[in-house]
Amino acid sequence: MTYNLGISKMDELIGDIKGGTNIMMIGPPMSGKDDITNIIAYHGLINKNAAVIVSTREPGKNVLDWFENRALGIPPEHIGIVDCVTRTLGFGAPDTENIKMASSPVDLTGIGVKISQFFERFWMEMQIKETRLCINSLSTILMYSNLQTVFRFLHVFTGRVKAANMLGVYVIEDGMHDDKTIVTLKQLFDGMIEIRGDDGDYQIRAIGLSPKPTPWFDYEIDGVNIVLRG
Amino acid sequence: MMVETGIPALDKHLHGGVPQGKSLLYYADPGVECNVFGMQTVHRALSEGGRGIYVTSSTDPRMIRDLFEEFGWGAGEYGDRFTIVDGFSGLIGANSPEQYVVPNPDDAGSMTQSIKQMMEDVCEPSVIVFESLSTIMDLCGESATLDAIEEWNKYAMLYDHVIVYNFTAWPYSEDTLAHVKETICNSVVLIGGIAAKVIFGQYFGVKKTDWDEATKKCTLYKVLKPGGVRVYLPKILVTGPFDAGKTTFVHALSTKAVSVDRLGTTVALDYGHVDHSGFTADIFGTPGQERFDPIVKLLSGEAMGVFLILDSTNTNDFARAKRMLEITESIGLPVVIVANKQDMKGALVPEEIRRKLGMTDDVPIMPVVAASCEGVFEAFDVLVDRVMEVDST
Repeated sequence: MTYNLGISKMDELIGDIKGGTNIMMIGPPMSGKDDITNIIAYHGLINKNAAVIVSTREPGKNVLDWFENRALGIPPEHIGIVDCVTRTLGFGAPDTENIKMASSPVDLTGIGVKISQFFERFWMEMQIKETRLCINSLSTILMYSNLQTVFRFLHVFTGRVKAANMLGVYVIEDGMHDDKTIVTLKQLFDGMIEIRGDDGDYQIRAIGLSPKPTPWFDYEIDGVNIVLRG
Repeated sequence: MMVETGIPALDKHLHGGVPQGKSLLYYADPGVECNVFGMQTVHRALSEGGRGIYVTSSTDPRMIRDLFEEFGWGAGEYGDRFTIVDGFSGLIGANSPEQYVVPNPDDAGSMTQSIKQMMEDVCEPSVIVFESLSTIMDLCGESATLDAIEEWNKYAMLYDHVIVYNFTAWPYSEDTLAHVKETICNSVVLIGGIAAKVIFGQYFGVKKTDWDEATKKCTLYKVLKPGGVRVYLPKILVTGPFDAGKTTFVHALSTKAVSVDRLGTTVALDYGHVDHSGFTADIFGTPGQERFDPIVKLLSGEAMGVFLILDSTNTNDFARAKRMLEITESIGLPVVIVANKQDMKGALVPEEIRRKLGMTDDVPIMPVVAASCEGVFEAFDVLVDRVMEVDST
């Protein structure tokens, strides 16, 4: 079981990513990490994968809208969103087919239960074995819980991604955490998508997914495509 | 006095529930739904006219009330008999409308102060449920939390409260997990996931109690909204001769059902989902005609119990009925014989049917009129009891 990111030039350099790989995506604020995460999920969806997206910054409805507005032709029943925002804002929204509500970003137990419920639905009921888990973002979770707690949570779920040959993508804000936090969390991941730059001039590369890091590429997000230059 | 958990099968394993002044820990694997157990226990206390206190640590109190509503347990109905100790709002700097608010949820001392205050104010014996002991442990530290639990339990014992903790077993230190599992509470219920790559089923089972010899067995469950924790029987078989009323029985028993039939007779299977008296089950009905016998055998694999449906007026088919128990390889499984069409002229009473079938007294025969739902749920209760008995031996 293998995966691609859906970033064409980078995929050519990396080759197939084997099932069970956990990737940290780290980059500065406003560098388009939300879009890149969704595009990686989208690339799976058009290939009949399922996607579980844990959203800690945007209400689940907004994430679903992203796919509905941009990504025509994907099977909506393959999308599962764990919404950690809506109930924190005081809105008592019930679970829907696509969106399951966690109480808050503190509620790692609840987040874990909702992720597991989507895994069960995709694996057992829909027989979809290729699933992408995207957590966007760990930084929000780290604002509410200490490093050790988040590490324990990730230890469990990166393990499950590995055991089930899924692909895991975990977003983290650059510059928001100390070195110890990043170094500690890195232990859990097999590779990294790194973003650098400022003022709208950003570059991207992948580390640990191929024998050598890819070169830095300038990039632009165009709908559901990430266009690399250089 | 015993306080019931609100989950009938669990209360049975605990021999009636939890005695006042004792503590119960729901110890869950990560990713397995656990909080609903505590909520159901509070709801049970409230619905019995008692008092319930819910100590929240990762959820806004308003959302807690909404969650109770989602399960069909309107928390608003119970007025001031339902109290929330808010150990969440302080964490995110939000104002709280609750009477008891933990000012510093990441400090075990602050938590203890609020808990003690609440217990002193609430004099009558109550059920106190902690939403998430693991969250408290994450916030306050493992050692400080373990010390605090001892104090909370002592206080609860003093006031005859039953204290219940939901705990998710994240990979804490082995010592902490062993301590939580073995030492801190009078009773422990394990809540686990059946996993093959992903978790696809959930079970609970009593690990220990210090007041009685608990029944140690695992029981599958599902969580329904509304409804809460329901014991789950993944496969109950409904079989019997042609035209005995199997399809009618499946539909009478089920909250939702579907049949694959042609010209009024089942040609593949009936499928139904039952939700009744704390149990949920998937039931599979076989065709009755002999030409379908090869698929009858396929359908019957891994059944936990069997309904054998008979037309009480048609003794000619009784031999075929017994033969169907052999085809479905049901011998040895819990079986309930459903003596259907009891409203029709010439229907034999259960004891006559037993004699004609040559069945021993230990096989229940239930009088039923599936067309008007008479006796169907009684038959279900009897089969469930037998499945649960077998499961525990």
